[in-house]
Amino acid sequence: MSEVKVAEKKSALFGKNEKKLLIDPLNDNNPITVQVLGICSALAVTTLMNKALVMSIAVIFVLAASNVLTSLLRNSIPKQVRMIVQLVIIATLVTVVELALKALDYNTFKELSVFIGLIITNCIIMGRLEAFAMANSPWRAFLDGIGNGLGYGIILLLVAFIRELFGKGTVFGFGIIGPDAGYLINTSESWLFGWYANNNLMVLFPSAMFVIGVLIWIHRGIVNKSLVDVS
Amino acid sequence: MHSTNYIIRFVLVMTAIVAVILSLMSTGLKPIHDKNEAVYNKTAILSAIASHLGKDLKTLSDEEIGAIFSEKVTQKVLNMDGKVIDEATMMEMGYKDGLAESVDMGKEMKKPEEDRVLPLFIYESDKGNEFYILNVRGKGLWDEIWGCVALEDDMNTIAGVAFDHKAETPGLGAEIKDSQAFKEQFVGKKIYRPDGEYKSIYVRKGGAKDPVHEVDGISGATITADGVTEMMQRGIAYYEPYFDKINK
Amino acid sequence: MGDLINIFIKSAFIENLALAYFLGMCSYLAVSKSVKTAFGLGLAVIFVLGITMPINWVINSYLLSDTGIFGTDLTFLRFILFIAVIASMVQLVEMVIEKSSPALYNSLGIFLPLITVNCAILGGSLFMVAKEYNFAESVAFGLGGGFGWFLAIIGIAAIREKIRYSAVPPGLRGLGMAFILTGLMGMAFMSLMGIDPAAF
Repeated sequence: MSEVKVAEKKSALFGKNEKKLLIDPLNDNNPITVQVLGICSALAVTTLMNKALVMSIAVIFVLAASNVLTSLLRNSIPKQVRMIVQLVIIATLVTVVELALKALDYNTFKELSVFIGLIITNCIIMGRLEAFAMANSPWRAFLDGIGNGLGYGIILLLVAFIRELFGKGTVFGFGIIGPDAGYLINTSESWLFGWYANNNLMVLFPSAMFVIGVLIWIHRGIVNKSLVDVS
Repeated sequence: MHSTNYIIRFVLVMTAIVAVILSLMSTGLKPIHDKNEAVYNKTAILSAIASHLGKDLKTLSDEEIGAIFSEKVTQKVLNMDGKVIDEATMMEMGYKDGLAESVDMGKEMKKPEEDRVLPLFIYESDKGNEFYILNVRGKGLWDEIWGCVALEDDMNTIAGVAFDHKAETPGLGAEIKDSQAFKEQFVGKKIYRPDGEYKSIYVRKGGAKDPVHEVDGISGATITADGVTEMMQRGIAYYEPYFDKINK
Repeated sequence: MGDLINIFIKSAFIENLALAYFLGMCSYLAVSKSVKTAFGLGLAVIFVLGITMPINWVINSYLLSDTGIFGTDLTFLRFILFIAVIASMVQLVEMVIEKSSPALYNSLGIFLPLITVNCAILGGSLFMVAKEYNFAESVAFGLGGGFGWFLAIIGIAAIREKIRYSAVPPGLRGLGMAFILTGLMGMAFMSLMGIDPAAF
C-alpha cells in the first residue's frame, strides 16, 4: 500500500506536466519575447554579461522563492490584501538579495545600483504569483519559478552577449575581438578583421530595444511560427 | 471570507516576521558591508597610481589592498587654507575618525566652500618615490562625477588619474571611467606652466592642441568632458595652498 | 524656482523614464495599441508618480535615514515601504477612476493594478533617493518624470495605430515592431541630451 503511494508520488514529482512547467517558458511562453514581462531590467543591465548573469541569478532566486512562499500561504492570504502581501514577500526577498550581493560582490552591487530594487517591479514575478502560485502546490510553483526565471535569464544573457561582444569586443570582460594585445582576434594585425571597430551604439540604451526586437523577429519568424501576431 | 480581525492579525504577524528577518540580516552583514565599502574606496584611490604599484590592482585581494594602505599610504586631511587638520579636531567636527578615507567628498561639496575639508593620500612606492593623490569632484551631464588625481612629488606632473561617475551614459560619458586610453592621456601632463602659473588640464573637443596641458575629448560626450575640465581646474586648485606651504 | 523648472524639463525630456531608462516597459508595450487607452494610463502614471514621490521622500528622510525620528539607519526597509505606499496609492487611483469615469475604468481594465508593478513608479522613487533631491525637487521630478512617460506612451501609441496599415514582416508584427520603434524613439530622445536645462 505504502509502496504504491511512493511510486505515485514520484511520478507526480517530476512528470510530464512538471517538465512542461520548466521547458515551456524557454520557448513557447518565454517571459520576455512572448509574454512581454520584465523588460525594464532586461534593457538596463545587458551592457555587460556579468551584470546580466548576476541579475538573472537574482531574478531566478526571487521568482522561485516568492512562488513557493506564496503557494504555501495561498490559502491563508486574505483576498482583500492579496496584492500587498505578494509585494511584501517580493520586496523582502529582493532586500535579502541586495544585502547578500552587497556582502558578496560589492563592485557588481555598485554597478547594478537601483536596478536590484527594480526586481520588485519586474512584472514576471508579480505575474507568476497571480497567475500560477496562487493556484498551485509549492513544488509546481517552484518549478514554474525556475522555468520562467531561466527563460528570462537566457534572453538576458543572449542580449548581453550581443551587446558586449559588438559594443566592447569582450565576453564576460575577456577580450575577444579588438586592437589590444591579448585578444582572441587582434584586429590591428589580422588582415581579415582590420576594418573592425567597436560599435558604440551597442553600448547605448536603444540598442537593447533593437536587439530584442530582432530576437523576437527571429523567434517568431523562424523558430516558432505559431507565435506570429495576427491581430 | 476572512474577517477583518483575521486580516489585521495576518498583516501584523507578517510585518513582524519580515522586520525581524531583515533587521537581523542587515545588522549581521553590516561589518562585511562596511569592510567592502572601505576596500572599494581604497581601490578607487589606488587605481590613480595603478601603474606605480608594481602589481596588478585587479588581482590584489582585499587584505593586500588594506596592507598597501596601512603600510605605504599616509593620510592627511587639509582645510581650505592648506593646513593639516589633526584627528582630535576632526572628531570635534563630527567625523568618525581623523582619516582622509572617511571624508565623503560628496558631502563636502554641499558645504560652503570655506568649510570644506580635503582628503590627501601620500603613497610611497617601493623605489621611494612619493605620489600625492588628490580627490576632485564635479558635475557631468546627468549627475556627479569624481576622480582621484595622482601627482608626482614635484606637485606638478600628473602620474595617473581615475574617474568615476554616478550616472553618465554608458558608451559616451561613462568612457571617462571605462576608457583606459582616455585616462592614460593624463599621465605626464603638467598642471603649472613653466613660469609657475596655474593652468590645470583641459579636455579639448576635437583633439588636444597643447601637449602639456590638454587631452583629447570623447566624441559624443562634450558635456561630461567639460565637466572633467571644470572639476580638474577647480578641484586641484583647492590643494594649492598646501602645495605652496610645503614647497616653501 | 528655476532649479525646479530645470528638474522638470530634465526629467520629462532628457532623462525620460521610458525612453532614456526604459522603465515601465511592460505596461508601455501592453497598453500602447490605441492612443485613447494610452492617454488614460499616461495620466494615471503622472498622478501616481506625482503623489508617491513626495510621500516616499518624507518616509525616506524622516523615517528611514539615521537623522530621522528613529535615529538609526533603517534603509533596508526602503523597498518594502516604498512599494507599500505605491500599492496603496494605486488602489486609491483605481477607486477614484472607477467612480468618476467607468468608461475609462473599463478600457484600462487590468492595467490599472499593473501601475503598481510599473517600474517607472518605483524607479522614480529610487532615483530620487539616489539623486538626493529635496522635497520640492522630488515633486518636480515626479511630475516631470510622469509627464515624460505620458509623452512617450502617447507617441508610441500614435505610431502603432498608423503602422497597423503597413506591410511589416510577419515575425515582426506587433511586439517586435514596437520594440524597434521604441529604440528609434529612444535615439531621437538621446539627441535632446545636448540641451542645457539651465538655459530654461
